[in-house]
Amino acid sequence: MAPLDTATQRPRHKSLATVMERYGLLIFLAVLMAVAAAASPTFLRPANLVNVLTIAAPLGMVVIGQTFVILVRGLDLSVASLMATVAVLATAFRATTNDAIPLIFVAAIMFSAIVGFVNGYIVAKRNVSPFLATLAMMIILQGLRFAYTGGAPISTLPPGMAFLASGRIFGIPVNLLTLAVLAISLGIVLHRSRLGREVFMVGSNPKAAFLNGVAPDRVVIICYVLCSVCAGIGGLFLLGYVGTVSNWVGQGYELDSIVAAVMGGVALTGGRGNIFAALLGVAVLVVINNLVLLLGFPIEMQLIIKGIIIIGAAAFYRTQVN
Amino acid sequence: MNAIAMDIRRNRLLLSYLIVAMLLLVMLVVGGVLSDRFLTWRNISNLLQQLIVLGMVSLGQTFVVLMGGIDLAIGSLVGALTVFLANFLEWRPDLVWLALPLALLAATCVGAINGLLTILLRVHPLIVTLGMSSIIFGGTLMYRKEPGGSVPRGFADVAYTSVGGVPISAIVLVVIFALAGLWLQRTRSGRSIYFVGGDREAARLNGLPVNRIVVLAYALSGLCAGVAAIFLTARTGVGDPRIGVALTLQSVTPVVVGGTILAGGRGGVLGTFLGVLLVTMLNNLLNFLSVSSYYQWIIQGLIIVVAVGFHTSRRRH
Repeated sequence: MAPLDTATQRPRHKSLATVMERYGLLIFLAVLMAVAAAASPTFLRPANLVNVLTIAAPLGMVVIGQTFVILVRGLDLSVASLMATVAVLATAFRATTNDAIPLIFVAAIMFSAIVGFVNGYIVAKRNVSPFLATLAMMIILQGLRFAYTGGAPISTLPPGMAFLASGRIFGIPVNLLTLAVLAISLGIVLHRSRLGREVFMVGSNPKAAFLNGVAPDRVVIICYVLCSVCAGIGGLFLLGYVGTVSNWVGQGYELDSIVAAVMGGVALTGGRGNIFAALLGVAVLVVINNLVLLLGFPIEMQLIIKGIIIIGAAAFYRTQVN
Repeated sequence: MNAIAMDIRRNRLLLSYLIVAMLLLVMLVVGGVLSDRFLTWRNISNLLQQLIVLGMVSLGQTFVVLMGGIDLAIGSLVGALTVFLANFLEWRPDLVWLALPLALLAATCVGAINGLLTILLRVHPLIVTLGMSSIIFGGTLMYRKEPGGSVPRGFADVAYTSVGGVPISAIVLVVIFALAGLWLQRTRSGRSIYFVGGDREAARLNGLPVNRIVVLAYALSGLCAGVAAIFLTARTGVGDPRIGVALTLQSVTPVVVGGTILAGGRGGVLGTFLGVLLVTMLNNLLNFLSVSSYYQWIIQGLIIVVAVGFHTSRRRH
C-alpha cells in the first residue's frame, strides 16, 4: 500500500491536544454512557453492565492480539475465521464429558499458534503484505472448516464449555477474569519487557531495530503467533457463549477488532499504541452497539455507526500525531 | 528510473503474464482430458458469460491498486446497486434508460467520495474503504434485508444474449479492458496513475495533480462496480444486499495473480484479465470435477499466497 503522507504540523495548544489524545476516548465513553443512562434506566445497573462486558470479553481477547500485530505494521484479517475454525476443532473430539476440556484448550492453542506462525512467516520471510497473507489464511481456514463440517452446525460439546460464558469464580465472570489475566500479562510483556520494547522498535523503524541487534522477522512472527493464540482462546469463549458451532462463529470480529484498536489509538503505521487503550476501544464499541438497541434503532444501524467511527477515529488520531 | 531498470521490470511482468497464460493452457488440457463436456462450446460460452462481474470489479480494483490504494467497498457497493436496480425496475420497468445511468452515477460518486476521504482525512485507504463498506452495507440492509425486486425481460437479456455464440457481456468486457489498457499506457492521465502509485511525493514534485488522480482512480473503481452490478442484476433478476460480500476480496485475487503489486505503480490490466480468466476457469474446472466449493476456497487462498510470494520474492533480488 502507498506510504502514508506525514501529517503536516499545525499550530495548536499542545496541552489540549495531549489531553484529548490521552483522555479523548475516556471522555467519549463517559458521554456515551451518560446518553445510554438517560435513554434507559436499566443501562447503569450492575447486572446490565456485567452483561455488556461479558458479551465483549471474546472481542477483547482478539483485540489484545490484534494490537500486537498492528504495532509491527501488520493486520490480521484471519482472526474471525480462526475463531470459527477453533470452535469447529473443539467439536472434533466428539466429547460429551468435561474431561476433554483441557485437551480442547491445548489443541486449540496449538492449532492457533501454527496458524499464527504461518501468517507471520509469510509476512516476515516472504515479504507478502499482511493484508494478502492473512486474507488468504482467512479463506483457507474457511475452506478447511467447511470441508470438515460440510456446512452443518454442530453441538457436540462438553457441558462444561458453557461455564466459560456464564461461570463465575469468586463472583467474577470467568470470561472477564480470563480477559483480565490475558490483558495484564500481555500488557506487562508489551509495555514492560524486552520483547515489548523490540515490538515497538520494529514497528516504528524495522531497519533501525535491525541495526540495534533486534531480529525484526522473529519479532513479527511472535506477534502473529500471539495474535492467533488470543483469537483462538477468544473463539473458545465465544463458543461457550453461543453454545452451538455455526461455521460463522465470530464473523465480523476481524473488522471489530481493528475498529477497537484504531479507536484506542493504535496506529496502523505501527510503533504506537497501548493494549489497555485498545480495550477501552472495545468498551466504546460495545456500549455503542448496546446504545443502538436501547434507543430502538434497527440493528443494522450498528454497521453504519461502526463505519463512521472507524474513519472518524483514524482521522482524529492522524491529526494528533506529530 | 533508467531504461535498464524499466526493461527488467517489464520483463518480470511479461514473465508473470506468461506463467498465468501457461497455467490457463494447462487447465484447458487437463479439463479436456478429465471431462468430455469441459471443452464444449456450450461450457466455454457459459464460462465467458461469467467473466463480466468478476472482470469489472477486478478492473476497478486494478486502477486503485496501481495508484497505490485499495478499495474494500466494492462488494457492498455492488450489493447496494443490485438492490437499487431491482427495486427501481420492479417499480418502473419502463425506466431502464434512467435506472442504469443513475446506478453508474451513484457508483462513481461513492468511489469519488472514497478517494476524497483518503485525501482530506489522510487516513489509510484500507480504513476509509472498510468503513465506507460497513456504512453502505448497513444502509442497504436497513432498506432491504432480504433479496427482492425484479427486472423486465428485455433487461435480463443483456446478461444472456450472444452474438455468433459469444456472449455480449464477454465482448463488452474485452472492449472495456482494451480501452482501459490503452488509456493506462498511451495517455498522460493514464500513465500518471502509475506515477502516483510508484512515488506519490515525486509525482507531486513533478507537478502532477496528485489529488485529482487519486479521486479519479477511486471514481473509476466505483464506475466499474456499477457496470458489474448492472450485469449481475440482469443475470440474477433480483437485488440481494449480501451478494457482494465475497466480491470485495475476490476482486483482489485476479489483480495480484496478474502481477500487479499491492504497493502500487507496477502491473497492468492485461495481467488482471488473465487473472480473471484463471480464477473463473479454475472454479469452472473444479465444478466439473465435482470438487466442493469448500476446497475451492482453500485453493483460492493458496493461489493468493503462491502468486504474491512469487512476485515479491522476485522483487527482492
